[in-house]
Amino acid sequence: MLNGREGSGTPRRREATDLYATVLEVVKRYHGAARITRVSYGAGMPVDRLRSLVERLVSLGLLKTEDLDGRPVYDITPRGQEFLSTYWKMRGFIEVLEANPEDRISRRRG
Amino acid sequence: MAETHVPRGGRVRLATVDGDLTVGAHARIEVEGRLVVGGTASFDGSSDVRGSMECREFISEDGTVTIAGDLTVHGDLKSHDGAIDVHGALTARRVDVDRGLRIEGPAKADRFEVGGVLEGAQTLLAERVSVGGRFRLGGKLEAQSVEAGGSVDLQEVAIETLEVGGAIRIGGGEVRRSIEVGGRFVAEGPLSFGSLDVGGFAELRDSAKGGSIDVGGVFSAAKDLAFEDLAIGGIGRIGGSAQGRDLDVGGKFDVRGNFTLTGTVDVGGAISVGEAFVGARLEVGGKLEARRAVFSDSIEIGGAAVTREGLKAAIVRLHHRSKVQGPIVGTEVQLERGSRAEDVYGMRVEVRERCEVRRVVAAEVRVHRDATVGEVLFSGSADIAPGARVMRGPQKVEPLPPFPL
Repeated sequence: MLNGREGSGTPRRREATDLYATVLEVVKRYHGAARITRVSYGAGMPVDRLRSLVERLVSLGLLKTEDLDGRPVYDITPRGQEFLSTYWKMRGFIEVLEANPEDRISRRRG
Repeated sequence: MAETHVPRGGRVRLATVDGDLTVGAHARIEVEGRLVVGGTASFDGSSDVRGSMECREFISEDGTVTIAGDLTVHGDLKSHDGAIDVHGALTARRVDVDRGLRIEGPAKADRFEVGGVLEGAQTLLAERVSVGGRFRLGGKLEAQSVEAGGSVDLQEVAIETLEVGGAIRIGGGEVRRSIEVGGRFVAEGPLSFGSLDVGGFAELRDSAKGGSIDVGGVFSAAKDLAFEDLAIGGIGRIGGSAQGRDLDVGGKFDVRGNFTLTGTVDVGGAISVGEAFVGARLEVGGKLEARRAVFSDSIEIGGAAVTREGLKAAIVRLHHRSKVQGPIVGTEVQLERGSRAEDVYGMRVEVRERCEVRRVVAAEVRVHRDATVGEVLFSGSADIAPGARVMRGPQKVEPLPPFPL
């Protein structure tokens, strides 16, 4: 989902930052009540792999966690929001910069 | 009420169940006409229901439950760690599925909450749709609010608010209040919207009409665009003509047709308008290119401006070392130190030190020392400082030659 350059050739390989953004976007949708299983379905990632990624995001201050009915739930922090907005802005530019040069030439000729 | 139980791996034929129905994993239920369950239908693992089904509540745990016909749930449908595959229409009060929900017919519920993937082949009608991962729909979507964490692919929409984390492609339609997209937004058909806020890349492939547009990275509109406020952090282009109120561009912005604004234009970088550029106030930090630029209040050029037909405003100010190609027309024109221009027309024109101007035509002209002007024509007064270079004139003429624009 966040890993392709739609309509412009080969998909880009998902980097660690793409995975962080994917997880943060899914967590954000649950408005403070994101359970790890739900995030795993949303992000398309197995729970064990997701757990270590989420722990890293918590340690970096991009996610915060609290207990809800005895189970941990996650929410995005303002720093996480800042990461997302910077990430998406940069992805917009990368999309333009990495566009296939032949596409650009044919557009110019057309 | 009696409970009907279908054991694990069981094969049964059912038509009516008065009480609850519990189904073990890998069961197959053949349906006579339509299966009507008076109570709750509970599935433990993957099972097949080979026909349409109706129940009061629907619960499943793990696996995928396949309903070969329509599924009507008078209360809530809930799947914990599981998926539901409905080959016909789905109706429920509230749908809450952890893993995935696939519907081949039309779908209707107050709320759809899906953790993983929601796929519908036909229409979907809901108050609220929330999807953790991917959301795809083949028919029209009508909803109050739609949220998805991952990617979204929709056809026609009629919704109030849309919030997507990753990428979204929509066929077109109406989003009455707001569209918020983290990553990439593409609208294929005509679109109307209240506001559009995109973090990365926004592309409108057909005509669009909306309120405020805020794009962090790259914005592209292939055809005509109408908006209230447009703020682009990076690069923007409009293939047709555009009209709106205010524009704020951080980087580079191109408009192929006419660009008509009623408010303020602030371009930090460069702007290019293929036809006429019309507005109230314009500030360009970098470079402006247009066939003509006509602003009712003021134009301030910090860098460079190039027009074929001219640049016109009540007040035109060229900042220090700025450069203008094409005629300048204003009630009041000020050329600050070191700026360069071609023909300048105005009621009052002031040319400061070290400016270079080809021709000045004005009622009142003031040329400071060290400035160079090719020709000065005036009708009222001409104040040429000692040390200023005027190659022809100053010459008093009555009336002044007609101004362009």
